[in-house]
Amino acid sequence: MSSPLLFGKTHFLEAQIDEFLDKVSEGGIYFQRGIELLLDRGVVPETELKLDQLIQLKERANELRRAVVNTLYSEMLIPDFRGDVLRLLSHLYGLLDATKNVFQELLIEYAAAFEGLDTGADVRELVAVVDQSMQAAVRGARAFFRQPEAVRDHINHIRVYESEADAITLRLKKGLFGSDLPLESKLLARDALAVIDGLADRAEEISDELSILAIKRVLE
Amino acid sequence: MIASLVFLSSGLFLGWSLGANDASNVFGSAVGSRMLRFSTAAVLCSLFVILGAVTAGGAASAGLGELGAVNAIAGSFTTALAAGVTMTWMTRGGLPASTSQAVVGAVVGWNWFSGSITDLSQLSRIAFAWVASPLIAALLAAGLHRLLLAAIRRGRPHLLSLDANLRLGLILAGVFGSYSLGANNIGNVMGVFVNASPFAELTIAGGLHLSGEQQLFLLGAIAIAAGVATYSRRVMLTVGDSLMALSPVAALAVVLANALVLFVFSSPQLSALVVSLGLPPIPLIPVSSSQAVIGAVLGIGLLQGGRGVRQIRWGVLGRIASGWITTPLIAALVAFVLLFVVQNVFGQQVFRPVAYQLSPPALVRLAEKRLPTERLAMDVEPVVGSVRFRDWLRRQVRLEPAQEALVLRIAEIRPVTIDAAGLEALERTSLPAPYRQAVAALEGLSFLHPWQLAEALASRSPLWALAPDATEAEAGRRDARLALVLDTFGVSPPSPGATTTPSPREAI
Repeated sequence: MSSPLLFGKTHFLEAQIDEFLDKVSEGGIYFQRGIELLLDRGVVPETELKLDQLIQLKERANELRRAVVNTLYSEMLIPDFRGDVLRLLSHLYGLLDATKNVFQELLIEYAAAFEGLDTGADVRELVAVVDQSMQAAVRGARAFFRQPEAVRDHINHIRVYESEADAITLRLKKGLFGSDLPLESKLLARDALAVIDGLADRAEEISDELSILAIKRVLE
Repeated sequence: MIASLVFLSSGLFLGWSLGANDASNVFGSAVGSRMLRFSTAAVLCSLFVILGAVTAGGAASAGLGELGAVNAIAGSFTTALAAGVTMTWMTRGGLPASTSQAVVGAVVGWNWFSGSITDLSQLSRIAFAWVASPLIAALLAAGLHRLLLAAIRRGRPHLLSLDANLRLGLILAGVFGSYSLGANNIGNVMGVFVNASPFAELTIAGGLHLSGEQQLFLLGAIAIAAGVATYSRRVMLTVGDSLMALSPVAALAVVLANALVLFVFSSPQLSALVVSLGLPPIPLIPVSSSQAVIGAVLGIGLLQGGRGVRQIRWGVLGRIASGWITTPLIAALVAFVLLFVVQNVFGQQVFRPVAYQLSPPALVRLAEKRLPTERLAMDVEPVVGSVRFRDWLRRQVRLEPAQEALVLRIAEIRPVTIDAAGLEALERTSLPAPYRQAVAALEGLSFLHPWQLAEALASRSPLWALAPDATEAEAGRRDARLALVLDTFGVSPPSPGATTTPSPREAI
């Protein structure tokens, strides 16, 4: 086991983890851009392009996750933390996968959910907050690898964004059910809001995971 | 040669046991935490233990030799066996025992049995080192841990880079620890055989010179390597972090602290540096690496405050401290009993009686050294046994310990007569020809004291002279050659009841 090889492999693996986190972060951005397009222009080729981009991101992230975990175990790297890293990457991949699924559902099942609603700005706000919670989860994961003391700040941000997402969803639902829309439209819109808000909940689950990992990782 | 190997077997067993147990102190954290493969650790550990033992093992071993020079190979065998038996008993009884303490106890037991003096000042230096080594390890580990954490916080390495650096650090610290373990603890394994070494000097192809002591150490180190290869894996995987759970950074600090402590107590250069700073010299003696590791873990535990203190098993520490007293006592008793059995049941010579006599040349020599010879009576007959001679001396005059040691050195007698038969026997030894020629030039002369022979040889050939700035290794080689001549020409030492002694003739 020569050290240049060891360090070369380490840097390659670090780059793979960074790329994986980039993909999760990009997933949040594409999701937000996709919803904006959906709200502005409905299901058009540009909106569907966002879904394709999300699918490609998910596939690349999956490849990266598998490669990182395989290398960690086959090369006996970070024996104390590889289980934690595996779990963290799996959670983040789950978040990206859920983002793609939610956007896909919105395009297929809930395309008409927000039609006729005068709440486009609120939905955009909700999606922006959900994206922020995802970005905070990615920043928290990056901090876990490089600066575990800072993880706590990012965890706090995720929790704040998740609460905000809940508050916006509640406000939207109240407005929705106070409107004159037919019940089926109300129920469709309610479910659409729930799946979007669900992404912030998944980000919060990652924050719970990160808080435990950070305690283990903080140096004493 | 086979007989010699049989006699060395108890030391080799001690070496095997040391390799099996103490390799975990240098590579246990790396292997136990799966940061390093056992095979890599075993190869590195074996290689550097051998290197440390052969190139730097002399100082700590000589420190043990100052406590008691076991001078017959059956005695060396029994002393090492007593240490091994004590270790086995105590380990089976669940008592933490250190080979260093068992060996020291066994040497004291040999001194007791053979009537040799146990140098109390050396014994107190050894006891100081036992207590000091875990304390120094604690301080070093705490300091190193702080430094490493500060460097990590400052550099903010990626988890993977940190892991790679720690892995490399553990390998380097393990290599350094293995070297220091070989240099320091070879004294435990082979120290008691040095004065009765069956090996002569050897120059192998390429001009590599190996003294008898180095060959002994090489053999002992190979036994340690065998212990590492055959049994240390189990110890590394099970005992690794038994005292307190350690993070990889803490493990690195512990391994480094242990290696430094072993190095401190085996480096003559460092001791000389300390002396040049006006401080007392560092006692160079074998110390327990297990206890240094425990001290280091304790240092890190205390650094972590209340949480760390709660994790420490204080009972283990108490038992270790009690082992500082019980282990040597038990080993001394076991050694005494075994020496008695080996001498009287198996008819083996477990010690070569050393006789002393204040002969006229010895008195002249002492006067030259400004000792109060006017208060010393001349011996008419030799006194066998250093304790008896010292008692006789003390009845006449009270001297400083250093002066007393000087009198003992000068009064020691080993009558030799350089004759044709001896010279023929010398031809068959490994003594190089130029040295033999100087001995042959003394044919027909007799000497009572070893120092007389040494001076006569030095006057005949500069090869035998010791330069004022000679290193310890050079002095050791000269002494080994002189011992070879004394053994070849020597006659049996006089029995306590002997009434006459060979009349020495000054060669110069």
